[in-house]
Amino acid sequence: MQKILIVDDAEINRELLKDIFEDEYSILEARDGQEAIDIIDLHKLSISLVFLDLVMPNKSGLDVLSFMNDRGYIDHIPVIMITGEATIESDLRTYEYGAADIIYKPFEPSIVTRRAKNLIELYQNRESIERQLEERTKELRKSQEQLAKNNEFLINALGSVVEFRSLESGEHVKRVKNISGAMLSSAKRLFPEYGLDDSKIHMITQAAALHDLGKIAIPDVILNKPGRFTPEEFAEMKMHTIYGCRILENFKQSDSEFYRYCYEICRWHHERHDGNGYPDGLVGDEIPVWAEAVAVADCFDALVSKRVYKSSFSFETAFSMIKEGKCGVFSPNIMKCFEDSADELVRAYSDSEDPY
Amino acid sequence: MTLQEFFEETGGNYDEVMRRMRKEERVRKFAGMFLRDDSYRLLNEAMESGNCEDAFRAAHTLKGVCANLSFTRLLDSVSAVTEELRGGRDFDKARLYMSRLNADYALIEKKIKELTSEAGA
Repeated sequence: MQKILIVDDAEINRELLKDIFEDEYSILEARDGQEAIDIIDLHKLSISLVFLDLVMPNKSGLDVLSFMNDRGYIDHIPVIMITGEATIESDLRTYEYGAADIIYKPFEPSIVTRRAKNLIELYQNRESIERQLEERTKELRKSQEQLAKNNEFLINALGSVVEFRSLESGEHVKRVKNISGAMLSSAKRLFPEYGLDDSKIHMITQAAALHDLGKIAIPDVILNKPGRFTPEEFAEMKMHTIYGCRILENFKQSDSEFYRYCYEICRWHHERHDGNGYPDGLVGDEIPVWAEAVAVADCFDALVSKRVYKSSFSFETAFSMIKEGKCGVFSPNIMKCFEDSADELVRAYSDSEDPY
Repeated sequence: MTLQEFFEETGGNYDEVMRRMRKEERVRKFAGMFLRDDSYRLLNEAMESGNCEDAFRAAHTLKGVCANLSFTRLLDSVSAVTEELRGGRDFDKARLYMSRLNADYALIEKKIKELTSEAGA
């Protein structure tokens, strides 16, 4: 049976309400505000309705309403104030404290019954709608998460296609993502002027998976050549930056931030700060920070990894080679981020599943 | 004494109380409970000790009970006292109005005792 709490210091008033409701509801009674607070604290949301007298010894009806506000009960349990006289000020104040309705003495049982039933129903409907909404939101969030996971899976798979062609494992893509992510987190902290935030960094690391997409268009004889490239072969190899962009342009999304990251990383992850990179020979600030981060990550992983044409260097050697400009000149800012995230970078390798 | 006579003699409103409570039996039960209500005694104690706040609270409670029982005449006299006590408006005037309230209460008390003893007999 649903519970109704009746709070009034006069026994007759309590009995009158009890007389109206006791056949259909289980009745709790309190003789003053303090007793009411204790009972509400004990029975909590199992109470379906409160009848509350305004003027009482110990704690008043308004004290009980404040308590219900503080504990958040007021949004879930309807309160009908019982009052001797109608004054606009006290009625307004009562509603401001969150009372759902006001009834005046003497009670008209038929009216009191209707109002009580309406309020109980109203609050129960509201609770059930809120619960449904919460469930729907949870489902929606779950399907969004699944979608994001599927997305990431597809991007990673696509980014790894080239690696499988060169008989590698796909771990390079993962490590470039982790390393550039770590460097961009440092950049977010050290250089707020870049305007990086976690959601941008997440998008950029996703896009980083596609940095070598264009290598799919490079012939096997060049891609998997163990020795040094001829000038013609090197010129063709450099074209992977342009080929990657051509693939992306077929699916151009001009208003998409993610597309922009993908495109700029594909195109410019071999550019260098002094203008000696390719394909566009960009200089200094012309190279976006995300393309630079991927460029450093790509070089670093190439140095510490074993490739068909070379053996691997130690972390220490790789760090100093990059700092000394053995792989081309990077901006002072990105070098600060590189140093700042050194520990993170090494961790990317201990987390990596495959030998490198 | 019929219930209707009781309400006529004490200046109550029989029709109103019957409309709300429907059964004479129920009205008798609640009228009987009236004598158990503490607020009249508390009101007198607070008036004597000069505690205006307690007096207001007791008068206010008594007023609500009288309204619920349709004790209209007593409701009027207790309302007059309540308004003088509200916010400590005029304690002396409230004390002045107490004599009428006491007289009305004494009558109702006597008649309720008659009513319930007849019912018991």
